[in-house]
Amino acid sequence: MTFLGLAAKNLGRNKVRTGLTVLGVAVAVLTFLLLRTVVSAWTAGADHAAKDRVVTRHKVTFVMTLPKRYADDVRKAPGVKLSSWANWFGGRDPAHEDEFFATFAVDGKTYFAVVPELVVGEAQMAAFLEDKSGCIVGDMLAKKLGYALGQKVTLESGIYPATETPWTFTVRGIYTATARNVDRVSLMFHWDYLNDALPEARRDEVGWIMSRVEDPTRTADIGAGIDQLFDERDIQTLSQDEHTFLKSFMAGFSAVLTAFDIISVVILAIMTLILGNTIAMGVRERTSEFATMRAIGFLPKHIAVFILSEAVTLGLLGGALGLVIAFPLVEGLLGRWLEENMGAIFPFFRLPLPVVGLAFALSVALGVLASLLPARTAARIKVTEALRRVA
Amino acid sequence: MFVPLSYNVRSLLVRRATTLATAVGIALVVFVLASALMLAEGVEKTMGSAGRPEIAIVVRKGSTAEMGSSVEEHEVGLVKSMPGVKKVNGEPIGVGEVVVVASMEKLGANGITNVSIRGTSDASASFRPNVKVLEGRLPTPGADEAMVGMRISGRIKGLALGERFDIKKNRPVAIVGVFSDDGSAHESEVWLSADIVKSSFGREGAVSSVRVELESLASFEVFQAAVEKDKRLGLTAMRETDYFEKQSEGMSMFIRILGSIVAVCFAIGAMIGAAITMYASIAHRKREIGILRALGFSRLGILASFLFESVLLALFGGVMGAAAAFGMGAVEFSMLNMSSWSEMVFRFVLTPKILVTSLVASVAMGLLGGLLPAIRAARTSPLTAMRG
Amino acid sequence: MNEVSPAGEPLIRLRGITKEYTRGGETLRVLENLDLDVARGSFEALMGPSGSGKSTLLNLLAGLDAPTQGTVEVDGKRIDQMSEGKLASWRSNHVGFVFQSYNLLPVLTAVENVELPLLLTPVASSERRKRAETALRVVGLTDRMGHYPRQLSGGQEQRVAIARAIVNDPLLIVADEPTGDLDRASADDILRLLETLNRDLGKTIVIVTHDPAAAERARITHHLDKGKLRA
Repeated sequence: MTFLGLAAKNLGRNKVRTGLTVLGVAVAVLTFLLLRTVVSAWTAGADHAAKDRVVTRHKVTFVMTLPKRYADDVRKAPGVKLSSWANWFGGRDPAHEDEFFATFAVDGKTYFAVVPELVVGEAQMAAFLEDKSGCIVGDMLAKKLGYALGQKVTLESGIYPATETPWTFTVRGIYTATARNVDRVSLMFHWDYLNDALPEARRDEVGWIMSRVEDPTRTADIGAGIDQLFDERDIQTLSQDEHTFLKSFMAGFSAVLTAFDIISVVILAIMTLILGNTIAMGVRERTSEFATMRAIGFLPKHIAVFILSEAVTLGLLGGALGLVIAFPLVEGLLGRWLEENMGAIFPFFRLPLPVVGLAFALSVALGVLASLLPARTAARIKVTEALRRVA
Repeated sequence: MFVPLSYNVRSLLVRRATTLATAVGIALVVFVLASALMLAEGVEKTMGSAGRPEIAIVVRKGSTAEMGSSVEEHEVGLVKSMPGVKKVNGEPIGVGEVVVVASMEKLGANGITNVSIRGTSDASASFRPNVKVLEGRLPTPGADEAMVGMRISGRIKGLALGERFDIKKNRPVAIVGVFSDDGSAHESEVWLSADIVKSSFGREGAVSSVRVELESLASFEVFQAAVEKDKRLGLTAMRETDYFEKQSEGMSMFIRILGSIVAVCFAIGAMIGAAITMYASIAHRKREIGILRALGFSRLGILASFLFESVLLALFGGVMGAAAAFGMGAVEFSMLNMSSWSEMVFRFVLTPKILVTSLVASVAMGLLGGLLPAIRAARTSPLTAMRG
Repeated sequence: MNEVSPAGEPLIRLRGITKEYTRGGETLRVLENLDLDVARGSFEALMGPSGSGKSTLLNLLAGLDAPTQGTVEVDGKRIDQMSEGKLASWRSNHVGFVFQSYNLLPVLTAVENVELPLLLTPVASSERRKRAETALRVVGLTDRMGHYPRQLSGGQEQRVAIARAIVNDPLLIVADEPTGDLDRASADDILRLLETLNRDLGKTIVIVTHDPAAAERARITHHLDKGKLRA
């Protein structure tokens, strides 16, 4: 028998209570993990965004376009290695009214070099470059909507209303991604195809210009250099690296993220309350036992350590159970479902390891926190009085 | 034979710390649940109150929002002349407006956000009878002046009364008024003359949407059929109420679903807390219960008594939680609206229904959490009293 | 009834002991200017009506409580001025406790309960177990070592408690109403056991009791009344 063994044995005393407490902690850990995974999956785009890519857009609003000749100027800007451009097409497939996916008109020759995380087979790439009305779709999108190579896809767009003929594309390639957090539900087609079909007044406009830079540590300077090129022109630009751009975009949802943070804290508070309540009850019921131990010669600190280790064990068990439930739930069911059905928002919905570690550490730390007060009470009992109460 | 209720009340009071800890747990659950429902309600109210059923809105087919839509100038007259549109002095009532978003700096948070800018004309006001200028005055038509919705005013750099913002380089627009619109989504917009918006944003020759007033509620079908009959026009018509409902649908559903999932998880936790408390309370009072049984109280009476105690405990928490949620009424929630890609400010709106839902939820937690312990209590043998 | 103390230096020497408690602003004098000697190897009983201060006196000489005034000397050491921590370690080395309601830990087996005090000593775990088994042999419970308290009778529980009290080989065993919860036969067993410990192992024992049969076993019985020893 050891000191810690004794603490562990006490948990077996009231099995229903111990079981309920562990379950309570497990539910809290599970909820916490789910929430933090939502946050991390949501912000994953920004966190993993390429830091060596600078996006140049209209200074006032992303709705407005830039003259295409800007793309040539950007390419020649100092520090820029490669650049390409794209337009937000805002297309929807009338056959799948409720499915949202991103559609871009891109410069086929350069786009995939600037965005190397999208991988297209060589033969498919060649076929795409061959066909002016060709398009490339993400493998997840192809799977979801049943798009196959060679298939014709007709899209509607509110931004670029079709005039004579509807917008029809032929699937020439299916892209996969090098990283799990890359959106695999987008559709890209040739910018030339769009441009040529537009009325004179709307031609030769690009939505944004993306450039890969030589030195990723200097993106801010290079971006500023690009913006300076156009400072005296009629349209000014704003160049940011993708990471910064997505971060400022995410700032729009800061209230939501704050709400998630608050809820996460509330969960932890509930967990602490459950743990604390259990520990406090156990301590109250065992006053005479602690008094006996004190009489025998145990010190207040022994009693405190005793209670603390009980709480830590409860936290550990609850945390472990929460993780055991969370893994198959998130990795198996929920994550896969979300990635398949809400891939645009959650391309990668998996438990992040730091969050898992944090949840586990917190369940232990809060066990300690919850037991501080009961441990203090127990350590301070008046031995003679507690013994008298029993006798 | 039932146990007097005061017995339960006193039992809860005797174990003050435990009672409070459990009740606070339930209060937190109720608070989160109520807040989520209040926010969803706020989103719906904001979006819902912007629309009127006798107004029809026409946008480009395939667009989900005014912002992504483009209607040629010459098509505006065409739409206004469609059957079903109300005429005053032979003139159809309709207005074409241009809506764009501009990147602006958020105050108090480092980040850029998108603000909706609506290019309006003289007719615009008649479509929003609730718009009131709270401070300052209406912008002078044709001048580089704008008014700003009360919800967004003060949240964005340059968007407060007396300030100015650059609509494009070296073209400052002065904010001369702050307006309200009965809590609608317009309160998160900047309004200025359509011509200035068009020329500054390169949108000459096109608007985003056309609104028309219908002759009657029933004439919408006629109007819609006429608009959508001409396939070459490529336009679609919606009732303004439906349009806004669609705009808020995703977001309020998101909040409701997420709020419910979180609340359910929380509720399980709180019920476990209540069960632990009740089990301990019953274990502690084993002898008392034995005595009650020996005195002749029935099993059902004991069961009811402990369920009542548990419900009372939960209800106490529920009231605390609801009271805290009441305080959320003062909080404003600002986020990007996913359908219009622009910053929108929502409030937490408390309705009697939400209040009742929260309290019912707390009672349910008490009932479910207290059930097993109460059954155990009811099974106590009267002999327990004798054994000591 | 009082016999003459055996010669030699007493193990316990109490001088001028006054103990006061404050309850709700009222000061209660439980013991008043009391002197008491307990000889080494003696078996003494404290008797008296409820509230006479006998348990308080026991607590003082066992180092569970400190007097308001006066000195407590055990084995030549002043314990009335020791700090809480020192006192605790002194108790663990020199005093064995036996309580009316046994106070065994319900989650531990008989042998583990006996082992408990040894957790505070640097004794190795195998040695701990051996000593606990020996102590249980002394109280005649070799066949109940793996039983939990709830599986034992009251008399057996009290014997486990006595084994726990002697496992440290203490100078002094104090027992507060050790037979209070037991039937006559079990009580006599326990008293015989205490007698044996006193006679054969030379343990000094002080018990508080209401039981005249228990007092009869003691060599000296002190009668307390309203905080004073009756001559």
